[in-house]
Amino acid sequence: MILPCAATAVLVVATLYSAIVSFRQAEAGKRTWIFPESPNRSAQIVVGVLTLALLTVLAVWLTGSARNSTRPASRFFVPEGYTGWIRVEFEVQGAPSLPTEGGEYILKIPPGGVLRTSSAEQYGWARDHYFYYSVQGTRPLPDSGSAALIWGKINGEESGTTAKRKYEEFFVGTAQQFKNQEPMK
Amino acid sequence: MLPFFLYFVASLITGFHVCMLLALSAHGAPSNPLELVSLLGSLCLLIAAYVSLFKPYAAARLALIACLAIWSFYGPAVAKSIRPKLVVQSSVLEPR
Repeated sequence: MILPCAATAVLVVATLYSAIVSFRQAEAGKRTWIFPESPNRSAQIVVGVLTLALLTVLAVWLTGSARNSTRPASRFFVPEGYTGWIRVEFEVQGAPSLPTEGGEYILKIPPGGVLRTSSAEQYGWARDHYFYYSVQGTRPLPDSGSAALIWGKINGEESGTTAKRKYEEFFVGTAQQFKNQEPMK
Repeated sequence: MLPFFLYFVASLITGFHVCMLLALSAHGAPSNPLELVSLLGSLCLLIAAYVSLFKPYAAARLALIACLAIWSFYGPAVAKSIRPKLVVQSSVLEPR
């Protein structure tokens, strides 16, 4: 809660200050703290070089962390006509591991809506894909836009009697159905 | 040096905050396109901080534009977070 408040407060100050300096000029001959003056040459060089060095380090760090924060995408296959919550439980002993195809995980959800796998949950950025499947074949499930049928995707971890359980859940249905439903127990 | 530090701190705090919000979308949280506009504004504010060392008045104009871009996300967010509190207060004040 501190960060949003601090961001808003400092943004208010920066906006007011830049607006005042943009639209008003200091009176001739008068020096006030509010109207900026260019610092001397040595200060300009020192601060300029330090800023560029900091930005370079920041850019390298962000690029490195962005590369490490990706994960393989997942393809979810949901039974045709299924409406409700889908739950995928990870690291379940004795359950089959997730197959991969073209570098993407394949998650075929059973008719009950709960898939258990021994595979570990993957974290990071990826573009997942959703499909309905039936004996006739598969068809895409829209997950964005006005016709979206995928909602409320969450990752979680809960403590069971034997071990911690990691899971992922999302809702399949229209926006109205999602608003009217109860969370999965 | 005042404008430099002001723009620099504002750009870092707002940029870090919005980056954190964008990172949450990797875990399924809904993202808002205005977050990207705000992030662009933070970047412009950082540039304004650098420019303020050499051309303070031009930097102030750039900073103002950048701040408005950042407000495009923060404005609605602040309004949305304040509104429920105002509704609760007005319902308390209603005559019985």
